[in-house]
Amino acid sequence: MNGTTGQPVIEACDLSVGYKNRPVARDLNFSCHAGQFVSLLGPNGAGKTTLLRTLSRHRPPQGGEIRVQGRPLDRLPALELARIMAVVLTDKIAPPLFTIFEFVALGRYPHTDFLGRLGPKDRVTITSSLAAVHALDLADRPFADLSDGERQKVLVARALAQEPRVLLLDEPTIHLDLKHRVEVMTILRDLCRNKGITVIASLHDVDVAAKVSDRVALIRDGGLVAWGTPETVLSQQAVTALYDFDKAEFNRHLGGIELRGAGDRGRAFVVGGMGSGALVYRMLTKKGFALATGVIHENDLDCFVARSLGAECIAVDPMEPINEAAIDRAKTLMAACDLVVDCGFPVGPVNEANLSLVQAALERGTTVLSLRGELPPGIRVNGGGAPVLCADAGHLIETLETFPFRRPMTAMTAHDEELRCNP
Amino acid sequence: MTTSDLCLSDTRPLLLRRPPLVFSLLGLLSLAMLLANMAVGSIPFTLAEIWQALAEPPEASTAGFILWNIRIPRAIAAMFGGAYLAASGLLLQIYFKNPIVGPYILGISSGATLMVSFVMLTSITVGWTLFTPFLSTLAAFAGAYGVMLIVLTIANRVKGGATLLIVGLMMGYLCGAVSAILTAFAEKDRIKGFVLWQLGSFSGFKWDEIALLLIIGGAILVLLYLQSKPLNAFLLGEEYAASMGVDIRRFRLLILLCACALAGMVTSMAGPVAFIGMAVPHMARLSFGTSDNRILIPGACLMGGLVASLCDLIARTVMAPVELPLSAITAFFGAPIVIALLLQRRVKL
Repeated sequence: MNGTTGQPVIEACDLSVGYKNRPVARDLNFSCHAGQFVSLLGPNGAGKTTLLRTLSRHRPPQGGEIRVQGRPLDRLPALELARIMAVVLTDKIAPPLFTIFEFVALGRYPHTDFLGRLGPKDRVTITSSLAAVHALDLADRPFADLSDGERQKVLVARALAQEPRVLLLDEPTIHLDLKHRVEVMTILRDLCRNKGITVIASLHDVDVAAKVSDRVALIRDGGLVAWGTPETVLSQQAVTALYDFDKAEFNRHLGGIELRGAGDRGRAFVVGGMGSGALVYRMLTKKGFALATGVIHENDLDCFVARSLGAECIAVDPMEPINEAAIDRAKTLMAACDLVVDCGFPVGPVNEANLSLVQAALERGTTVLSLRGELPPGIRVNGGGAPVLCADAGHLIETLETFPFRRPMTAMTAHDEELRCNP
Repeated sequence: MTTSDLCLSDTRPLLLRRPPLVFSLLGLLSLAMLLANMAVGSIPFTLAEIWQALAEPPEASTAGFILWNIRIPRAIAAMFGGAYLAASGLLLQIYFKNPIVGPYILGISSGATLMVSFVMLTSITVGWTLFTPFLSTLAAFAGAYGVMLIVLTIANRVKGGATLLIVGLMMGYLCGAVSAILTAFAEKDRIKGFVLWQLGSFSGFKWDEIALLLIIGGAILVLLYLQSKPLNAFLLGEEYAASMGVDIRRFRLLILLCACALAGMVTSMAGPVAFIGMAVPHMARLSFGTSDNRILIPGACLMGGLVASLCDLIARTVMAPVELPLSAITAFFGAPIVIALLLQRRVKL
């Protein structure tokens, strides 16, 4: 149901949205098909809500045209539009003395007679709408008693009772706890898959949008910056530009945002690989360390996380044994670091050379923290210091917070900063 | 859970469901109140006397004369006046999404009072003989609608119920000030009539006024009942209502016209009557346990009629032969209800 065949359910042609003397976004062109989940992404004030309100005919377009099932939106009779399109808004509504069933029943408005009496079919639809949002058990509860998450589900159920083909939602997961955030998104995705409803939602979580959407629209600077499948549109550069990220980076392989740290507590060299480094990178970044890492393989999880966190990476091609040249570069980099962390990676033929980095650090007298419970294999403790053995990440953090480092922790120099940004 | 489980409230026997029960109770009480209003007075009648007098033409006996010309018109006026004020209050509460509004508080009654004071206190309208019987009604309607428009204009600019209340109160003061100035310049005999009118009373209704009240008001109530579906949708706010297919502009106009017409008509005939329009919709909501306007419109009307009749009965009997001002009685009963509602946090400003 997600193809682009057939007539679009809703399409915008050269659409401009906004207010009389202040267009918010212009020249919008896109079309949404049956069963698609469309996410509108963009910073606050970019015009996501204004676009949604224009699509739902709450605001007149400032130019261009919107077509619903091939017909101009402004010429659709109100009741007919209500049978095609339903909305879930951010307005806090608190209708007094309504049970959930009665509240959802209001959604039958475009289908009932002049007094709004419910027939058997209406009751079945109301029940199935409540079932679709996993809220059947709420049916007899008063609306005023609901939690934020429950209320959001019930608002979706009310919209579903209209039996729409298109569902427009403004920030459907805002103010929700994690459980309901996930639940609401799952419900919406199921509506697309199982009922062929087109869902158009403005979202804040770019990572969630990437995972549920069939199409994403990136809106900023008064226009549609990009439109397409999240797999092609949501590149690291596009997301960084969309939100003006400074200390964060979106990584499509990781499907999430990595938060960069201040990097002013000193510089840590992490010997990782095989996924052993990911948690350590994040933890060190959080604690304010600047990162360097090596030698890891391209496409290793560690490589994605380290790059997203802005670490200097010494990486070799996948599946290749770590070569002498990479080790030499890593040693040079390590020499400028305040401490070395050995992540306890599993050792095999392709990465055993990394152990020589640990050995070199010990011989230089640099502090080495090791996440192995015992001395790393093949490490000789003669001449240099011994590694601090940490049983787990928690122990590592404690050690980091209390350990007297041999080199004073100085703020990074401007040169280091530059080096980190443009390796 | 099945569909039938979900609709429990609809599978119970008719008489055990809450709305029919409350309706029957209110109906019986209203009937009793109607009889009480006929029976109680400076000359009390027994039920048998009332029954006999009703069967005869008005001229046949003193009882017949009193009943047909004084007590019955007054009882009907109180019943319907209360009903219309309650309906008007219900509409305004839905329109402004604010539970503490009513025709009196929003200055509608004050606007009507102002225009009526022009008619009653000045000679502006001398010579408009064609309109004379309906002049104060028309004036009240114009005043009610004028103030409503002003309040509405301001309400669109400011958000928040408390602001709206203050705007309504200020409009009330302004209208009161103009009325007071007019009073200062008016002739003595006109002032007396105006002051009496201003105290609010359902006495002195003539049968042609009653007919006007019943026909126009009845037509508006029927129209409103037919609008209970969009009114219900309106409870979710204008935007949701619009998304469900309600023509918001036309509908808003309709609600306000109806609310002002009902409140203006009652005010023109009975004077400004406080609190019924504000408190009764709450009493109806709580006793019927619903916000469904298909139940609330008739429910609030019945309850408004009952309350107004009761207040009128109290007003003319407690200190008899002195008749207390109706608005004083309605305030005694309405103000504590509103305060109680606020304290229970059932309503928010």
